[in-house]
Amino acid sequence: MSNHEKKSEVTLPRSSPATLIETINLYKSYFNEDLETPVLFDINLKIQSGEFVAIMGPSGSGKSTLMHILGFLDVPSKGHYHFKGESTEEKLENELARIRAENISFVFQSFNLLPRTTVYDNVLLPLLYGNTPTHERRSRTLKAIESVGLADRATFYSNQLSGGQQQRVAIARALVTEPEVIFADEPTGNLDSASGKHVMEILQNLNKEGHTIILVTHERTTAEHAKRIIHVQDGRILTDEKNLTQRIASQVKQLK
Amino acid sequence: MQFRDTVTIALRAVSANRSRAFLTMLGIIIAVGAVILMASIGKSMEGVILDQVSVLGPRTIAMWPGNKGPEGGSGTMNPDYDKLTISDVDALKKLASISGVAPIIFVTGKVSYGRETSDTRAVGSTPQYYENQTVEVQEGRLNDEEDEKGVRAVAVLGSDTAIDLFGSRNPVGERIEIGNQKFTVVGLLKPAGSAFFQNLDERIIIPFSVAKVTMQRSYVDMVTARATSNDVEYAADDIRYLLRKRHRIILPNDGGTDNDDFLIRTAAQAQEILGAVSLGLTMFITMIAGISLIVGGIGIMNIMLVAVTERTREIGLRKALGAQPRDIMRQFLVEAVLLTFLGGLLGLILGIAIDLLIVGIAQKFLAAYVFKLNIFAIGLSIVMAAGTGLAFGIYPARKAASLNPIEALRYE
Repeated sequence: MSNHEKKSEVTLPRSSPATLIETINLYKSYFNEDLETPVLFDINLKIQSGEFVAIMGPSGSGKSTLMHILGFLDVPSKGHYHFKGESTEEKLENELARIRAENISFVFQSFNLLPRTTVYDNVLLPLLYGNTPTHERRSRTLKAIESVGLADRATFYSNQLSGGQQQRVAIARALVTEPEVIFADEPTGNLDSASGKHVMEILQNLNKEGHTIILVTHERTTAEHAKRIIHVQDGRILTDEKNLTQRIASQVKQLK
Repeated sequence: MQFRDTVTIALRAVSANRSRAFLTMLGIIIAVGAVILMASIGKSMEGVILDQVSVLGPRTIAMWPGNKGPEGGSGTMNPDYDKLTISDVDALKKLASISGVAPIIFVTGKVSYGRETSDTRAVGSTPQYYENQTVEVQEGRLNDEEDEKGVRAVAVLGSDTAIDLFGSRNPVGERIEIGNQKFTVVGLLKPAGSAFFQNLDERIIIPFSVAKVTMQRSYVDMVTARATSNDVEYAADDIRYLLRKRHRIILPNDGGTDNDDFLIRTAAQAQEILGAVSLGLTMFITMIAGISLIVGGIGIMNIMLVAVTERTREIGLRKALGAQPRDIMRQFLVEAVLLTFLGGLLGLILGIAIDLLIVGIAQKFLAAYVFKLNIFAIGLSIVMAAGTGLAFGIYPARKAASLNPIEALRYE
């Protein structure tokens, strides 16, 4: 019963816009032998459930560090990070791992699929670390593989697939836990333009279905697929605006 | 994460690198193989000892001149020993604590039948010789008092000796040569195994009176007898007292046997000696097994550290997907234990295979040596092997579990 309640609580923010991510004066620095190197300054950011946000910036801008902090792979040095209205400071490593397992997922530039492992087992992987009942694993895995159009490749080994297909497997793996937010770190960086376009279309469709997507990229063309673009440079947010191209494109579509 | 999933992952990791896994396991395989082998040999030896006691009977007592037994190597060959004379034997026959006193003379001289020869050394003894052991006749008869009194040149053959000289033919009635003297074979014994470190199937028994004349002896090489009560030590003390008195031996201050010029062994003592030998052997091998388990464990640790480095990105990915540090820790620990456990199983097969080989060879000399498994040793060594994996797998597994996910994902 309590499990059921938890489930409805999880799906609620998706339908009605609610603040999913909020950072207040986020600051991050790394220490290299007593020498402090600041990476992020005063990051104040709010991301609603259902958004498609691109964090854009040149290499070394701090965009990856920001994504790592937002994705609970790293912790801020100062400032606050609220996830689903809950403070995440002073969470233990185990609790951060649990959030990663149940609430978020990643799509990486280099796919990071397990070699010598089938598509099915790669997509199944995150379910092993979450709290998914064993009998649901198979149907959820197959559903995720189907949603990226690779149902006929489920028994293939990951290294038998093309780069575009591999990235689609990675997206299926990100979807299978039904996370609150999907982080995509340069998802088209290792792909040719046609495969890259296909992958971005899949991400756009996922967003239309209600998934929150945070894209990290240094390419304008990739960032253009998002509805909102946050420009990061030298550890600070330079601009944070609605993507006009997207709005115009959708309006053109509506007119047609 | 469920334990079953962890085992599946570990199984895949091991089977992905089979040859490396095998090489890693070698130390464990050898260690467990050695333990299983030695434990099985120990069990088989126990069987031999029990068999020996049943051939001789627990009341049997043997005496040799000199102060070294046959297991001491040169005891009966030592020319400096004082002699057990025939009059000693006659005195022994008068003791009430023993019966079946059988003097034995070893007869030198080549044994042959036509062109066939045998390495067997003939023994001359009285019919009492047969009272101190279980002897069954296959063909013909045993030498008896008539042969003894008549100083008849007759011989009784052990089964192995008969095969040496006659193959599968019945030797009874044939004439063999022992050192230029002709003997008529009157009996063939059934296979009997071994006793007092001698193969009982490889012997020729001739009447004591004949051996005495042939070897021109007034002393004997060995005497066997049987205690008349179950208190074998009582009988042994009686013999000791008599021989010391006859040989004018001064008892040392500690009351020990250092001054004795003879040696007395009971079947129980022989059992103890064999037991001590096999215990020493077992301890030696256990030590070797312990050392190779440690060496094998270090090998496992090494390979697991390599595996952690090789799979750094995989570890980073698993962590990004929500793996807890303890999930990663368990994954590598289970892999290490799986390696050593499989190594243990392979070692078990290896140990049994070598043991079967040894049994095959040993049975040619010791009929009572049969294949026996030591279930306790099998259980213990498999558990020890798995425990080695656990002990030496902890460090690499902790290392894997403590990796930073971001750095691990970036690792090239």
